[in-house]
Amino acid sequence: MKMNAEMLNSLRAIGQGGVVVHLTTCSSKGVPNTVGERFFSAFGDEHLVIADMFAQKTKVNLNENPFGVITVAHPVKGRYWAFRGPCMIIMWGEDENFDFHGAKAGDVLREWGDWASKDPPSEVPPDIRPPAVCQRGVITLKVDEAYSWKPDISGEKLL
Amino acid sequence: MAILSPRMKGWLERFGCHIGTATKSGFPTTIVVEQAAVEGDSVVSFDLTDAQVNHIKDNMQENPYVALAPHAIASIRAAYQFKGAATLSGNTLKVDVKEIYCTKPGPEAALRLDTLPQEHVIKFEESRWRDVGPPK
Repeated sequence: MKMNAEMLNSLRAIGQGGVVVHLTTCSSKGVPNTVGERFFSAFGDEHLVIADMFAQKTKVNLNENPFGVITVAHPVKGRYWAFRGPCMIIMWGEDENFDFHGAKAGDVLREWGDWASKDPPSEVPPDIRPPAVCQRGVITLKVDEAYSWKPDISGEKLL
Repeated sequence: MAILSPRMKGWLERFGCHIGTATKSGFPTTIVVEQAAVEGDSVVSFDLTDAQVNHIKDNMQENPYVALAPHAIASIRAAYQFKGAATLSGNTLKVDVKEIYCTKPGPEAALRLDTLPQEHVIKFEESRWRDVGPPK
C-alpha cells in the first residue's frame, strides 16, 4: 500500500523535522514490545525503515512473529499515524537479491545500512547520544495498512 | 512488583504513552494516550476515549498483557519500556507494571531495571541523563 505525499514528506528523523517514532512487535504468544526509535525514514513509498542498533527483544520477536506497528506522533503538526504490516530485520550479510515484499535487501542496506554516515544524530544532545552508532541491519516494515491513533477516532483507517 | 522511579513517573504523567497491545496470536495494535496517572509504586492509569476503548477492547479480553513506552517528541530522553497486566474497566485502563527495561540504543538496550534495587536505578538514571524529569 502506497503512503501519501504528506506522509512521505514527513517520515524522517527528528533532526530533519520528524519525530521519535515507536515500533511495536510481539512475541508469538502475544507479549508486545514497544520501543521509541530515532533513526527512522521511508524507503520508497511502501516501506518504513529503522536502524537496528542491537534491538534485542525486537529481533527475537520478529524472528518468531514478523509483524509490526510503527506509531508516528506529532500532534502539533497533525500527525496521528500508525502503520502496520509485515516486518523483519534485513541484516548485513543477507543475500542482496532477497526480496522483502518489494524491497530488495541490497538496496535497503546500501541506502540505510550505515545511518551514522548518511544521517548522523547531530541534533541529539551528548547525554543521550549513543556512544557509538553501531548498526546490525535495517528494521524494515512493509505498510499494509495505516490507521489513526487520534484519540477521538482511534483505529480509523487512513490507507 | 516493579517500582517506578520518580523520573519514570514524571514522564508517564506528563506525556502519557504509546500502548502496545496484541491478540493472543501476536497481531499488534498500538494506541497513544497523551496523559496518565501513576497510583502508588507501580500502577499506571489512563483515561481512554470511547474510540480507544473500542480499538483495543478485544485484545484486552483475550490478552491483557501490554507494553508502554513514553510518548512525546522529546521521548528519546525517556528510554524506558514498561510491561504489565492491564485491566479495562469502562473507559479506564490500569496497568500493573511488572517489568521495566532501558531502551537506550546500543549496549544498554533491553537492560532490565525492575530487578535492580531502587537506589541503583536512581544512580543509573542520574549517570545517564542530566535532567531529572520531562520538559515543562
